Parts: sequence; structure tokens; C-alpha cells
Amino acid sequence: MIEISIASGKGGVGKSLLAAHLALLLSGKRRLVAVDADAEAPNMNIVLGIKDWDRVIEHYEGRRAFVLDDECTGCGECLKACQFGAIRVVDGKYVVDRWLCEGCYTCSFVCPVKAVRFERDVLAGWIRIKEKTRWGFPLVSAEIVPGRPNSGKLVTEARNKGREIFREAEIMFLDSAAGIGCQVIASLAGSHAAILVAEPTRASISDLKRIIRLTQHFRIPSMIVINKYDLNMQLYRELKKIANENKLYYLGEIPYDEEVPRSYVSMKPLIEYSPDSKATIALRRIAERLDNILSRFDEWRLEYLPEAYKPFEPIVIRPDKTLG
Amino acid sequence: MTSIAVTGGKGGTGKSLVATSLATLLSKNIDDLVLVDADLEGPNDHVILGIEELENREPITLFLPMIDTTKCTRCGVCVKICDTGALFMAGKAYPIVFPRLCSGCKACYYACPYGAIRGAGHILGYTYVTPVCFGGRCFKLVTGMLIEGEEHTPPGVYRTLQRALELKPELLIVDTGAGTGNAVSMGFRDSDLVIVVTEPTPLGAHDLDSILEVTDAMNKQVWLVVNKYGIGDITILETVLRRHRVEKIFHIPYDKAVVEAYAYSKPLIIHYPSSPASRALMKISDELMGWIKH
Repeated sequence: MIEISIASGKGGVGKSLLAAHLALLLSGKRRLVAVDADAEAPNMNIVLGIKDWDRVIEHYEGRRAFVLDDECTGCGECLKACQFGAIRVVDGKYVVDRWLCEGCYTCSFVCPVKAVRFERDVLAGWIRIKEKTRWGFPLVSAEIVPGRPNSGKLVTEARNKGREIFREAEIMFLDSAAGIGCQVIASLAGSHAAILVAEPTRASISDLKRIIRLTQHFRIPSMIVINKYDLNMQLYRELKKIANENKLYYLGEIPYDEEVPRSYVSMKPLIEYSPDSKATIALRRIAERLDNILSRFDEWRLEYLPEAYKPFEPIVIRPDKTLG
Repeated sequence: MTSIAVTGGKGGTGKSLVATSLATLLSKNIDDLVLVDADLEGPNDHVILGIEELENREPITLFLPMIDTTKCTRCGVCVKICDTGALFMAGKAYPIVFPRLCSGCKACYYACPYGAIRGAGHILGYTYVTPVCFGGRCFKLVTGMLIEGEEHTPPGVYRTLQRALELKPELLIVDTGAGTGNAVSMGFRDSDLVIVVTEPTPLGAHDLDSILEVTDAMNKQVWLVVNKYGIGDITILETVLRRHRVEKIFHIPYDKAVVEAYAYSKPLIIHYPSSPASRALMKISDELMGWIKH
């Protein structure tokens, strides 16, 4: 299976639009599975107009600390030790913030009277499955309980589910989250290719440069799609230059088109809502070009593999007294 | 100190536009204003404000275990306690540390019965404090930035907020990242008012629903800003809003000036003060000033 992540760094540049349309445009020709790997803001089903699911799996994991008021002596050791700022004093009592606690045990180790206890198997989120969309391919979507940690783990879970429910698939599309953090790494690491989406704004360019560094660390051959390319021609050219310098395959561009938000409102994919719109035509062209690449994927991959392998080297500081 | 957070769930709805504009406008009346760019994965406030160089860099250092082999008995407790897989033991060998996976929670340090874990450090990213001035009125921008390849955003957000609090501002404006996880909820956990920015599409509505679930549970005072008003369909947001507590609703019309300002890194309200979007932002700022005085 060729696993392809659609990522961008910046949010709202059109990842879900592209991922959903690549899946539905290629589904006639190829066996594929789509995974919504943005567990904090899953939107791929909305772009596709999917409202109901065949299966919803609740995902429990990890733990959450709480303080037993009767046993707590108020020494404050837990508050000092917590590295995530999850312990606070409310009305003179030590309270673990249910949103911020990652369940690491640090507070319970430092508590001299063992007043910190744990709630186990906390609901972390949901994996939703549509076995067969109208276009034939399955869709797996991850969503965390809002406000809670560990969205990256849920993305890994959704991805495994995607592999499991359609073992014969040739291709998996992963619609990644915004940013460059754990969710994005969970989808990028292990992908055979990435499609980066950018728009001609300074903010998008700044975030694109960050995600390119990530694809280089993981040595993922990448393509680029410029969305709303006609908003600013100067920055459009700058994006093309960045693509060139970083050896990104130029997959295509999508013009600014007000039919796109209208299609979201209609709860229908753009290519069905507005089959002749500028953006539809552009998406079709992009899908065709991607299809060609998939036909000679190994060859393409070798050509676009980031040359200089720059594995990520964390910056480590030697032990010293100030760090504990 | 008064603290306001700007968040939204979905990416690209205009959080940074709102946060930077409000900081610029409110700095006219408030002396010690700090804007925090708490979107460590894609900090863009400085880009929007047209700042070339961030200043006063400081590393965000997380705890990193280092095994003292003179004390380690290879009992494996640290490996067992580690949730992120940052400690690994091959058979009976000494544990190996993978810095990239370590969240710096320090549980292994406290768990080790033999005191064999020494504290080293691991740089997650950097914070910056940059003065920003327009027309003689200034505020400070605190930016948190994750190093590409690092993945533990929440502790970085925490450290960035701490650096901002050290400046003892009169008004703190926190611009959170996209999403609804704890890297975001941490950003508005201690805010007096949460400004949620959304767009009138089902995508905006879905993520708005998620973020309002958190603000409701935290009992936050919420103002809603519907950006790009005019695209999509505003009625889509109504069902979501019926379920949650939102105190005020503002609209920012879809405006080509925003795109233009964005493209050239020219702050909208400075360079396009009479554009419809600027006027809408000024209205929000005026209401905020009234709310702060109260």
C-alpha cells in the first residue's frame, strides 16, 4: 500500500478539500482508503457530505490523576513537580486540571501521603468508520474528546484501522492536521509520499518551510499543490521557487473559487455541486497527474527522494544541577 | 491582569488576524500589553505584523533523563513508567533514552528506586520577546516556536505562557493554534474571556462545536467572531450556537483587503484602516475596551 499524507503546516489552506477530492476522483480507477488524520478538527467527511457512519469505536486509553481531599496535607509538592502546569489551587484545595493532565504519574511519586490517585481508561476519542462511501472507498476518521491530550496516538490508531479494514488497497490518503506536532508526525512518519498544500500568503509560506524541514527529516518525497494561487501572483511565483529549490514535484494549482465554500454548505463534494467550476477542473487535472505518478511510483519516488538525508537530531543538554 | 484568548478550532479562520489586530488597537489605551503567539507549530503573528526578526530568544528546555550507570540496577521501572516510549531496554542492557519521544514529564526520575536518573535537558523549541510599535504605541509579542521534528507541543505552550506572565502585563492576549486538543485548551485555560473565531461553513461549525464544548465545561465567558462573513451560509452556525453559551457575536465581512494585507505582511488595521474588515475589528476592540474597564 502506498500511503500518502496531505499536509500543509498552516490550517485552512485546503488540505481536506484536496484529500477528499483525490480520494473520490481516483476511486474509480484504484483501490484506496481515506483516513482523516486530523483528530482535533476532522473535516474530511463534511467535504464529502458524509453524515452517518457504519461503526463508531470508542477509544479508551491512559489515565488522569485526581487528589483525595481528605488525605491531602496541602504541602504543594505535586504542584511543583508537575511539568505541564496541570495542578492548581482552587479554594485552598489542590486540584488536577482534567484538561491538562497527561497521566504521567509524576505527582503521585512526589506526594508524601499518597493522596494522588488515578482514574484509568479514560475516554480519549472515537474512531469512526464508513465501510463504503458512495464512491466505493472506505473512510476512517479519528476524533479526540475536545480539549484532551494525545491526539497523535488516536491518529496512529485510525491509520492502523485503515490498513486493517482494506488490506487489498493500493493507496491510502491521510488528511493530516494543521501544524507540525505529534498528529502530523503520526501521519507523516511512515508515509511513502506527502502532498503539501500552500496558498500565496506569507503565513502559509512560513509554515510550508517548516513542514518541508519535517519531510526532509523523515526523507519523504513530496509534491506541492498551490491553492487559491491567483490571490497573489508575486507570492505564487515565490512558492514555485521554494518548490523548485526543495525538489518538490509540482502537482498543480487551484484557483480561488467561491464555489468551494458554497459546496461545503451544500454538503456535497465540489465536483458534484459544481462540476464545471474552475476549482473542479483544477482538481481533476491534479488527480490525473497524481494517477500518472502512481502508475510509476517507484521511479518517481527515487527521483524525488530528498537527497541529503537530514535525520532529526534533538538538541540535548548534558546533565547539570539546575535540571534536577 | 486581564487575560483574553483567541481560539477557533479550525485552522485558517482568522485567529491570528483577530489577535494581532486587537493587540495593535488596544495598545493605544493599554500600556503593558503582551500578545502571546501560542501556536508553537505554526507561529504567524510576527509574519502578519511584518516583523522580520524575532528578539530575545530563550530555549524551552524540557527535562530529559540520563541514566547513571554506576547506580542503575537495570530493574526496568523507568521503562515501565514511561508513556511515550522514550526509554527502552534491550534485554538486560542499560536503558536507552530517545530524546525525540520524551515529553519531559519527569516520572522516570521520581520512579527510579536507586536515584540512577540524572536530569539532563532537551530543547523543544524557543520563546522570543519582541517589541512591536505602531505610531508610537507599543506592545510586546511573545512567540513560542517548536523545532521542526519535535512533537510535544503542550509543555512548550505552557512554557511560552509562563514567559509572557513573567512580563507582568496589564492585558494578556493569547493567540492559540488550530485544533481542539490540550495544546489549544492550555492556551485559554486561565483566560477571563475567550474569543472564538469561526467561519460560516459546516467545517467551521463542526470545529466551533468542539471548541465551545470545552469553553462550556470550563465555564468561560465567550465572544464569537464570525469571520469571512458573506461566504458560506451563516445559518449553519445557528444550531451549534443553540447548544452553547456565547455572550456576544461579531461579524467580519469577507474583504479582499485582508488577503492583500496578508500577502504583503502589512497589518490590516494600519494599512487599510477604512476597509470593512478593519472597521469590524475596531468595533470588537471598542467593546473589549468597555469590557476591560468594567
